[in-house]
Amino acid sequence: MDRRNRQKLDLLKLLIKKAITLKYKRTYLGIFWSLLNPLMTALIYFFAFKVIMRFQMEHYSLYLLSALFPWVWFSSSITLCTNVLTSNVSLIRKVIFPKHYLIISSIIGQLITLVCAIPILLGLAYYYGKTPGMSWIIGIPPLIILQFFIIYGVALAISIVNVYFRDMQHIVSVGLNLLFWMTPIIYPLEMIPEKYKTYLLLNPVAYLILSWRDVFLHNTLNWKGLFVSLVIAVIVLSLGIVVYRRLEKGLDEVL
Amino acid sequence: MIVAENIWKLFPVQRDRLGFKEFLVNFPRYFNGNKRNFVALKGVSFEVKKGQCLGVIGRNGAGKSTLLSLLLGVMQPSRGSIEVRGRKVPLLALGAGFHPDLTGRENLLMNGILLGNTEKEMLEKMDAVIDFSELADFIDRPLRTYSSGMCMRLAFSVAINANPGVLLIDEILGVGDASFRKKSSGTLRKLIKAGVATVYVSHSMQTVKDICDRVIWLEHGEIRAEGEPNSVIEDYISTQC
Repeated sequence: MDRRNRQKLDLLKLLIKKAITLKYKRTYLGIFWSLLNPLMTALIYFFAFKVIMRFQMEHYSLYLLSALFPWVWFSSSITLCTNVLTSNVSLIRKVIFPKHYLIISSIIGQLITLVCAIPILLGLAYYYGKTPGMSWIIGIPPLIILQFFIIYGVALAISIVNVYFRDMQHIVSVGLNLLFWMTPIIYPLEMIPEKYKTYLLLNPVAYLILSWRDVFLHNTLNWKGLFVSLVIAVIVLSLGIVVYRRLEKGLDEVL
Repeated sequence: MIVAENIWKLFPVQRDRLGFKEFLVNFPRYFNGNKRNFVALKGVSFEVKKGQCLGVIGRNGAGKSTLLSLLLGVMQPSRGSIEVRGRKVPLLALGAGFHPDLTGRENLLMNGILLGNTEKEMLEKMDAVIDFSELADFIDRPLRTYSSGMCMRLAFSVAINANPGVLLIDEILGVGDASFRKKSSGTLRKLIKAGVATVYVSHSMQTVKDICDRVIWLEHGEIRAEGEPNSVIEDYISTQC
């Protein structure tokens, strides 16, 4: 590897490290917040849906968490990346470096939560009497990679559009909320009326989330889900790159 | 080496975004909003060879910082061409990318890599950089506990140890105490002699006289005068006040 690439790799590594460590600097619970936060959220949903609305479902906590943790990675990364260019103005205006590293490092920084959560999910699955299977090992890495590229594609476009059009950050927060309720995270897929099910394809993360759940809940690889997610990843990433390239040129004049 | 030929830089005039209310009220005007440009630089040309230091003076808003950003490459000229050979090290603002919650050492590493070092090179240099900054006692404390003068020393130390081929400096020697200022301008002079091309933007006429061997005076984006530091500075001062 030549010197220039070495330096870029070091920079990316350091930015990732910074993204992970800075999140919890000066907090007492540190990295535990990564887990505590989604667990608390899950507890709230559990109370609302299982206790109050009385969902009749087996293993509801595993059902919920196996979809919620991947979703949290998606939504928190998108939220963070929306502002990543506008909040690093001083860096972008003073140093030349690949700006998309900021996006990559933010996404990987958020991935830590999910990585810490996977043992919890596996433990929970084991507790509910699911036997450990191969899909636990071979299913998780491709899901992480697919989801990374979907997030990356969306984040590339959103982050750069937000520089020109600051309304984007507000649109994103509403959009994520909408997407959350459009995805079978807290309710099962079967509850969606038949005639709306076809629209599920329009939701870039629905199949991904379903595949995540199948790994933990049914110990199977959802081949259809994986394939659809792959196609979505390719489309989203290509669009993201095109938008980013187009808008990157004028960045110095508006930032 | 730096060669800049007839560079222009235009910025779209930014007004506060017209909101939705204005959109409804001034519907037709909203679309054919006259797109005007602000011209920050109007055909500036110069050349800085290895071992030379070019001073840039002028009033606020004359285009000095834009010029440095263009040389650094974080901005692209609207017209004209810029050729810069050698590793560019900017001293544009104190410690770009410094984070208050990271320690001095962590910030040095980050900043050093941003300036083009690899991690390995930076770790090897670390002791020399810390030595130069004279901040060994504070280096493992978070940056937020540093005074602004100390931050600047850190930033300057890492930049000057980054093997620059081209140094771009924006008003940095003005900060820091007298002894550090003396030390840094001494090191700077040594670097320039050793073959670095430097562009130095400053309002401190004394430092410009001390360090630079040529000066350009920018006014409204154009070069108003160019030449020997003493005579250009004298002309410049006589038009102010």
